[in-house]
Amino acid sequence: MRNDAQVCRGLVAAATALVLSLSVAACGNSGGVGGSADAGQATVGAGQKVTLNYWTWFPAQATVQKSIAAFEAANPNITINLREFSNTDYQKELPLALGGGQSLDIVGVQVSAMTNTVRTQLRPVSDWAGDLPADWKSRISSTMLDQTQNIAKDKTLYSVPMGSIGSAVVYSNADVLKKLGLAFPQTQADLAADVAKIKAAGNGVTPVVFSGEDWWQDEMFFTVADQIDPKLSDELYTDKVAWNSPQFVQALTAYQNLFKNSVLDKGTLSLKEADADNAFNSGKAAFLVEGSWNSSVLSSAYRKANGITVGNVGAGAFPVVVPGGRPAARTFAEGGLAIPKSSKYAAQAAKFIQFMTTDPAGVKTWASDLVLVPSLNGYTVDPSVLTTPEARSGYAAVQSLINAPGSGRGQYSTTFTSDVLDNTLLDVARGNTAPQAAANSLQSAWTSGRYPVQ
Amino acid sequence: MTSHLTTPSPDAPPAGARQATPDPASAAPAASAARSRARARRRALLPAALFLAPLLALYGVYYLYAFVFLGQTSRQSVDLSFTGATDVGWRNFQLVLTDPVFWRDIGNNLLFAAVSILVALTLGFFLAVSLASGVRARRFFFVVFLLPSLVPMSLFATVFGQLIQTNGGAINQTLRAVGLGALAQDWTGNTTSAYVAVFILLTYLVGLPVMYYTSDLTTANTAVLEAAMIDGAGTWQMYRMILFPMLRGTHRTVILSVLLGSFRWFELIYFSTGSQPAGRTGIPGTYIYDQMFPSTGGGQIGYASAASLVVLVVAIAVSAVNVLVQRRR
Repeated sequence: MRNDAQVCRGLVAAATALVLSLSVAACGNSGGVGGSADAGQATVGAGQKVTLNYWTWFPAQATVQKSIAAFEAANPNITINLREFSNTDYQKELPLALGGGQSLDIVGVQVSAMTNTVRTQLRPVSDWAGDLPADWKSRISSTMLDQTQNIAKDKTLYSVPMGSIGSAVVYSNADVLKKLGLAFPQTQADLAADVAKIKAAGNGVTPVVFSGEDWWQDEMFFTVADQIDPKLSDELYTDKVAWNSPQFVQALTAYQNLFKNSVLDKGTLSLKEADADNAFNSGKAAFLVEGSWNSSVLSSAYRKANGITVGNVGAGAFPVVVPGGRPAARTFAEGGLAIPKSSKYAAQAAKFIQFMTTDPAGVKTWASDLVLVPSLNGYTVDPSVLTTPEARSGYAAVQSLINAPGSGRGQYSTTFTSDVLDNTLLDVARGNTAPQAAANSLQSAWTSGRYPVQ
Repeated sequence: MTSHLTTPSPDAPPAGARQATPDPASAAPAASAARSRARARRRALLPAALFLAPLLALYGVYYLYAFVFLGQTSRQSVDLSFTGATDVGWRNFQLVLTDPVFWRDIGNNLLFAAVSILVALTLGFFLAVSLASGVRARRFFFVVFLLPSLVPMSLFATVFGQLIQTNGGAINQTLRAVGLGALAQDWTGNTTSAYVAVFILLTYLVGLPVMYYTSDLTTANTAVLEAAMIDGAGTWQMYRMILFPMLRGTHRTVILSVLLGSFRWFELIYFSTGSQPAGRTGIPGTYIYDQMFPSTGGGQIGYASAASLVVLVVAIAVSAVNVLVQRRR
């Protein structure tokens, strides 16, 4: 009984603390901290050595180290101190570090996901563009530059994009296709036929794998939806088309039919992205639906270095599954390089950014990984990277998709996608919800005012 | 049955015996003794306070900072950079309280806690008593039951998540291999199957309740059991009518610890079902995480803070109700 009384007192104390905290909050300021001020620039004498702190999540650490080594060889007075993060960790770590005033000189920015979270801590490119070559803009894809600039709420360019990515793309195990006499599928009928033959072969190879995680669902779905209209995704998020419009319902129906007709297997929806990638990389799956950031698997050297056993990989657009549709993928600029306000070495940092984005010698050091299609105009992949006809035509198909004028991937920042759309798409794929009912429910949620585009 | 239960000393007063009424003639010396005890307590207070002060200060700073932080950000619209925050008043609370997904996740949390409590009070109790009765390889079984509770929850849940994969998962593959393919499930694709999967997962966590019961059983009064055996009570009767009521205090500890602990089962769900299908096995922990780190859009720290405070209120309220109900009994 005494213990009960003590527990009661503890609960009362916790409740009191809660009430007090809310009271303090109600009386407290409402402001928060604004963007930090620019750090003064250090005076660097001739021959003086400078160390730059560089944080990023991309490219892979071994690749960035190669880039840094090449840069340092050309600029002996500058040393780059790299800290590399995983993708998801980086999205959390960088805003906190910049907000906490950590002294960084160069930071990688995920253009669509992070620009608005960190922009108040970054120097606009116009502040340090004087340290870049006068023609730097003409050397870079204007589409990617525009995307990077327009995604910022204040329409200011805060980073220089290294390249662009898109989704979804289909990677194929070219050896399996060759063995079974299959061609890379262009339409749903082709894919259905390939799937049937792979199943009939009964050699334990799963026909198609992809991530069943909720975040991937809109990537898959909009690839299908944008086959109806390449700008449909943009139009939905900008209120030009309703979420229960006929074309959206048509897209939902086409997506559901892929699962209903067993072209895609509902069981695959229990896979995580890593599981799907591993199945494909180990030769246990014939097709992998992924983002273009997975294009490294097209490189035989990359496969060998990373223990990927699949012998030959091709790639292409997701098969057309809507009548009269055209191949599509949502794309966006990625791998922005920026200079934080806290940097005292903006001129030196700009030199490194120039090397990584506008200098062919610098771009070559990382672009062979094929993770991004580089923003550098006229860049071509070294022939030694793509060693088979399937890999060469596959990369050309990925490049073509990314350069096509489609919808923006991840351009519209709203929790509607993660909280509502992705779960609804899972229900549609599993056949738990009819397309029209799902569309009506989405439209209702979209207009509820709960999920504004940030 | 009694080999690992201790028998109290015959000289010890029986539990719950009343104290003898004091003799009035000895009241004055007793009062003097009470006064000197009070003085001694006061003298001991200062060093005790000095010893405790650093720890209390540490806790004070932590709680004060945490509550003020949550209280302040819960009334703001602010992202992970914590810059450019704007005051939104009580809007975050209004949005949380009117979100059906939030209440569904609270309901899931209470359901999972109820299942876990049920498992603890039945299976956990039975296992503890059975192990205390001196079965062979007792230590081995303790390790088997405790291990899932001792390994990091995220690792345990991840392994379980792999087991229940629809196509490559060990559970379905085993069922198919032994000719029971009809029982193979799309564990995370179907709401009922996903709930069953979570219930199975929770059953594996019976180790801690077993430990609580075992620890209390070692101090249980075995004379009562011996008397019951002499009176001809069967095993089931001893379990149900003697041992179960005897461990009432442990039941309370188990219920309260599971109930409060259930609000921290984020890793359990996140790494096993991932809230599938379509978020239906989500709990407040996954809800708050999804608001802080959504797959698209910036983290809504203010909204997540408001949700955290509401969850805290719900947890306190549920625990208070539980304590009051048990007190009445």
